[in-house]
Amino acid sequence: MANALRVSGLTKTYKDFVLDHVSFTVPSGSIVGLIGENGAGKSTTINAALGLIQKEDGTVTILEKEELDEDVKEQIGVVFDGSNYPEILSPRKLNRVMKHIYRTWDEQEWFRLLEQFSLPPDKQIKQFSKGMKMKLAISAAFSHHSRLLVLDEATSGLDPVVRDDILDMLLDFVQDEGHSILVSSHITSDLEKIADYIVFIHGGRVVFERPKDELAEKYGIVKCGAAQFDALDKSDIISYRRMDYEWQVLVSDRERIQERYPKAMVIPATIDEIMLLYVKGEGK
Amino acid sequence: MKGVLVKDLYIARSNILVTIVSLIVLGFGLSFLLETSALLVLAPVASTTAVFISITSDAASKWNKNVIIMPVSRNRIIGEKFVLYILLALLGMLTALIPCLLLALFGADITPGSLCLYGSVGMSATLLAGGISLPCAYLFDPEKSQIVFMMSFMASTGIIAGLVLLINLFFPVKGNILLSFNIVLAISVVWFFASYRIAARVYRKRDIT
Repeated sequence: MANALRVSGLTKTYKDFVLDHVSFTVPSGSIVGLIGENGAGKSTTINAALGLIQKEDGTVTILEKEELDEDVKEQIGVVFDGSNYPEILSPRKLNRVMKHIYRTWDEQEWFRLLEQFSLPPDKQIKQFSKGMKMKLAISAAFSHHSRLLVLDEATSGLDPVVRDDILDMLLDFVQDEGHSILVSSHITSDLEKIADYIVFIHGGRVVFERPKDELAEKYGIVKCGAAQFDALDKSDIISYRRMDYEWQVLVSDRERIQERYPKAMVIPATIDEIMLLYVKGEGK
Repeated sequence: MKGVLVKDLYIARSNILVTIVSLIVLGFGLSFLLETSALLVLAPVASTTAVFISITSDAASKWNKNVIIMPVSRNRIIGEKFVLYILLALLGMLTALIPCLLLALFGADITPGSLCLYGSVGMSATLLAGGISLPCAYLFDPEKSQIVFMMSFMASTGIIAGLVLLINLFFPVKGNILLSFNIVLAISVVWFFASYRIAARVYRKRDIT
């Protein structure tokens, strides 16, 4: 399977933060969720991959091209947090701007999407709600027939109904196997609904890159007391947290652990819990 | 570049209309106090403020981040601002000519020589100020670009005075005043285009977040 995006060894150093040799791929036809706590390096990774900031090291291949030239940019749609369009414009005026920027701008598709999402074409963007602005930005990304969609914290701050609408739009988009999405978010429940792969970044490094189903089906949390925790083989433990009345232990193969320790309580781990145990746990 | 220019013209439209009306009114008002053609000094500078409004707006709406991932090169993004600056300066100049020509028709003492002289001074000040402030708007905080522009306009008047004094070393400015200011204008044009190259180079390596 070809990759829509391949990031390899991406490095960027700031005074107080280092993006340290980040590598991952977005296979064609898939949705990849980039997760991590605030400040983990998700936006820095996206900014460096898209050429917004200068990378120090590493390579980025987008749609099989290493150079992010205008042909490649025609085929990428990017949605940031907020609309990032001049708020004085209306969607109709924005159409006049965009059709002179994108060779592939599809005016009919733009107005169809505006109608589909009930976005008034003659109202200034500044009068739109946050959800409307987000739908407008996604409509813009769809209206030049993007093959790769990149969303950076695009659903944060939106209510569950609008988020659900947007997730539906994204799922529709990847029905075409030539379309792919990289979506960064710290709202992991959204990614649990739509992502095929999860890339977890912590402290500027990729902690893991796994199919979401593998995380859902294999990862687990052992909830146990001190004696049971001491009895666990430490090589089975990814990380652990000592809570008030129990130990929570993250394991990568919960069925095997259940077989080895039949008396232990092993429950499936959500992406949120996996992230929390990696970030706040010990023994990684 | 056309799309980005269209966007800036939408942003600057209300400002441009106010500037045009103000310049025409000012032109007629000025005729009672001093030579109307002196409006040509003020007009191009006043009309270019819309460029800095668009730079501030780009930063505030984060369009400057969005446009980087569109199929427009960084050179063209910068080039568009310089083109807009020149277009607005010329528009200001043409607007200022309206009251001048109308008053000339009604017998005011406005000569082609005075129009050329004041026009030359106005364009020189505008190009020198733009040549300083446009790269600064991208080198430093874009939200302070309007203040930088005002300061650069003051600096440009000093530079013009300096250039005139320098020219005076080679031949007397008093006897060749139009030629002297045309030389200043030519230097300003060169400076403006050199400034574009500097701004483009600075912006090419700049992190946009």
